[in-house]
Amino acid sequence: MTNREAEQRLRDEAKSLLESAKVDYIVGFADGSLKFHTTPLITRNKDDVDHLVINPFMASNLAKFLTELEGRVGIVAKGCDSRSIVSLVQDNKVSREKVVIVGIPCRGMINLSKIEQLAGKESDEIDDITRQGDKVVVKLDGSEKEIPVKEVLFDHCLACELPTPKEYDLLIDEPIPATPDEEASQAKINKLEELSHHERWRFWQNEFSRCIRCYACRNVCPACYCQRCFVEEAEPQWILSIPKWQDNLIFQIIRNIHLAGRCTDCGECERACPVNIPLRSLSKEMYDLVGELFGFKSGMEIDAAPLLTHYELEEAEDFFR
Amino acid sequence: MNQKISKKDISKLLDELGKEFKVFSPSRESGVTTFAEWDGRDSSFLEWYRNTVISPKAQLQPLYEKMFSFHKDKEGYHLELPPPTDKKLIFGIRPCDAKALTIIDKTFQDTYQDPYYLDKRKNTLLVGLGCTNPYDSCFCTSLGLSPTQSSDVDLMLTDIGDEFLIEAVTDRGMKLIKKTSYLKEVTKTDEAKAEEARRQASSKVTRRLDTKDLAKRLLSSFDDQDFWEKVSNKCISCGICTLLCPTCYCFDISDELVKKEGSRFRSGDSCAFPVYTKMPMENPRLEKWRRVRQKVCHKYEFYPMSFEVIACSGCGRCIRLCPVNWDITQILASLPVKVKA
Ligand code: SF4
Ligand code: SF4
Ligand code: SF4
Ligand code: SF4
Repeated sequence: MTNREAEQRLRDEAKSLLESAKVDYIVGFADGSLKFHTTPLITRNKDDVDHLVINPFMASNLAKFLTELEGRVGIVAKGCDSRSIVSLVQDNKVSREKVVIVGIPCRGMINLSKIEQLAGKESDEIDDITRQGDKVVVKLDGSEKEIPVKEVLFDHCLACELPTPKEYDLLIDEPIPATPDEEASQAKINKLEELSHHERWRFWQNEFSRCIRCYACRNVCPACYCQRCFVEEAEPQWILSIPKWQDNLIFQIIRNIHLAGRCTDCGECERACPVNIPLRSLSKEMYDLVGELFGFKSGMEIDAAPLLTHYELEEAEDFFR
Repeated sequence: MNQKISKKDISKLLDELGKEFKVFSPSRESGVTTFAEWDGRDSSFLEWYRNTVISPKAQLQPLYEKMFSFHKDKEGYHLELPPPTDKKLIFGIRPCDAKALTIIDKTFQDTYQDPYYLDKRKNTLLVGLGCTNPYDSCFCTSLGLSPTQSSDVDLMLTDIGDEFLIEAVTDRGMKLIKKTSYLKEVTKTDEAKAEEARRQASSKVTRRLDTKDLAKRLLSSFDDQDFWEKVSNKCISCGICTLLCPTCYCFDISDELVKKEGSRFRSGDSCAFPVYTKMPMENPRLEKWRRVRQKVCHKYEFYPMSFEVIACSGCGRCIRLCPVNWDITQILASLPVKVKA
């Protein structure tokens, strides 16, 4: 199926979901107002679905909106988004019956920051970016540059274990098999691991000195669904609300602990951060640790019991019985 | 009479200014573009600087600042005020960000004169740098300014190729260039080049916002809940568009206590956060659409009502930094009510 055909099929399906009143909302991606950006499209109006797009710039994780919207929702989901949805279903935050998952097999999303670095220009100065198989063609100042796609995909996309949703109601195109390149995906993290403890501490101190406490990392995260987050608690006050690096770091450490077994490595926190803090270098460590210790990968199996909120009678701790 | 300076001499100029002022210039050393203290080395910003993520407002209203320290002993509480403000010079501020300071001055010197902001403001010289390469998200020209406008700075620099034309705008600016080395007289050709640069820069700003009757249109749309719900549904209520906006100034106050000592801080706050309006019994802006409406109306309706100026200078940060590409110009263009002139 060509991309155009896939887009048309998506629009048709979305329209019929709304028309047949199977859903109250459609949640998907539309072209953004900035070049090479998409923006979430959340609508009840069937005329809006003609704005739905499928392209390599659908970076957001739309699962986030499921915990906000009331009613039945038809949601466009890449593989990683579907994992977040599954995880939310397991945590009883979203009812599976109220969601129609419109699966989009995904070849990875393009990280504009990587393109900007390679091109030496900011994205609004670039004329065109197109994906052609394993290459991305960047048009700039009248000339064309070919870049291997692996150099410009998001790090988490490079390691993607589920490009095609496993849990879905409709699949828009042929499934795409997973081809994770863990090594490429880990490049940034491996560099960090080579540092001594002392150097790494200095590194994070410097990174978290920039944090402005906008909470975009938490607010884009589908797994951060708490109605009352610890950062806003005043009694007791876990951290100060001023953006001191120490408190910023504690915020992120506690957040990661809370997300153990929920984080699906969708990379949204790092993408949203306006001051370029490499947040995935923390969350991916937690993700891998959960894998190592418990053999658990969140959102992969709809029938799996959620990792940290499910208890068996045989559990070692008396406390839980 | 205007002067000019060769781009090659900018480092030397900043070094010289550094003897009298704490000089701040665009920097990306920390990992994000911001204004940082001139380090005597890196003038590469002249190549890459379009605008910074952290606006120079942060030099006057920092993301957080200590208001005072206190300790307690037998006699009671003792306060210690912060040291007096340094003399600062911000080199390279863009016209939109300079205008933004003029806009928020009105709040900080209203009935209550805010000493923290005003002391810094009084002691800070602004050296503006006209834009040559605006972002596609910039819309300053819709808010009555141009990307090379000099109205809100002490000295204004305009790019004329290998040199900058320097215009002294205020008395402070005039005094400063009188004692500054490296300056040369300008020729008629230089003036013509500057004029052309100004014209070109303006034509490169393509995003538009129709401000005609905007406050009135907002007023009549205020109760249209459907509209506000629709335009706010994709917003994730983060603090990016407010904390990084050069015309947003809200802050929160908190104490840090360690045994019998402590400090009182103030730090940026955002009307996008539900806790912003949390009160003991209720929260008047619990729903997201109410918070989005507040942000929009405060900037384009309430602020003009109080101070006769829109609280936006069109810098475009809220558009280009938003994680979901929420675009204020689109939202305002789609207001349901059209008011007849
Ligand atoms: S950081 Fe923790 S407390 Fe806060 S929203 Fe996320 S999971 Fe909840
Ligand atoms: S998104 Fe970045 S700046 Fe904002 S709170 Fe998270 S880490 Fe801090
Ligand atoms: S930056 Fe975007 S998502 Fe965040 S509060 Fe502003 S409009 Fe909403
Ligand atoms: S509202 Fe947006 S464009 Fe206007 S001054 Fe603030 S950040 Fe800049």
